[in-house]
Amino acid sequence: MNLAEVYPWLKALHIAAALVFVSGVLAVAIFLRSLPKDNPRLAAHVRSIRRWDRLVTTPAMLLVWRLGLTLALTGHWFAAGWLQVKLVLVIILSGLHGVQSGRLRRVGGGTRVQPSYVIVLIVGCSVGIAVLAIVKPWG
Amino acid sequence: MTATEDWRRDERRQLRQLELAAIVEGTTLLLLVGIAMPLKYVTGSADAVHIMGPGHGLAFVAYCWVAVQSVAGGGWTRSEAMRLFLGALLPFGGLFNLAFLSRKAARLR
Repeated sequence: MNLAEVYPWLKALHIAAALVFVSGVLAVAIFLRSLPKDNPRLAAHVRSIRRWDRLVTTPAMLLVWRLGLTLALTGHWFAAGWLQVKLVLVIILSGLHGVQSGRLRRVGGGTRVQPSYVIVLIVGCSVGIAVLAIVKPWG
Repeated sequence: MTATEDWRRDERRQLRQLELAAIVEGTTLLLLVGIAMPLKYVTGSADAVHIMGPGHGLAFVAYCWVAVQSVAGGGWTRSEAMRLFLGALLPFGGLFNLAFLSRKAARLR
């Protein structure tokens, strides 16, 4: 199997991993935004969400990075403007995932966290990434 | 296990991940600068650089990500957080932070 045959499969896997990653980040953002007060089952909820984050969302993020870099190298896309902007949006999403993951750990430890408004940012980055990957503006 | 013990165990696990990420980041940079690049200039073959370059890039991203995750979890002073991120930016900075991370982990025991 040559590179031209493998490329669409890598791309499909990259998109699948990105969908799983973004949905995980969005789910945690919604959970942290709507944390119930004085819920006796909160610790159990946090544990199961953290397990999902550790076992599914984080590996999906690593897969997105690994496959994304492989696709960019094989397709010689690094000089393209759209990819550079897309990389910035992916870095923002990955950073938000790291911050949320830390906040989940803090909530699990019994500390209250201030609700934040990252949902709009996550949706905005996701839309931007999809548009840039499909339309490929700026070369 | 009490909630405090749970929290201490989680924090120790987080610090171990950070130590591991720092070691991998520092080692891949060492391999890139110490072996792959000299090989390129001596033998003219860039294969090792092509392998180690992206490998170190991923290790660098992973270290930054674990550092963000650690600081966002709380329990870090501003200067400790600065030290962590400087460790990511300076060559081998992560390795220089290992002793500091071990001391921090020891305080949680």
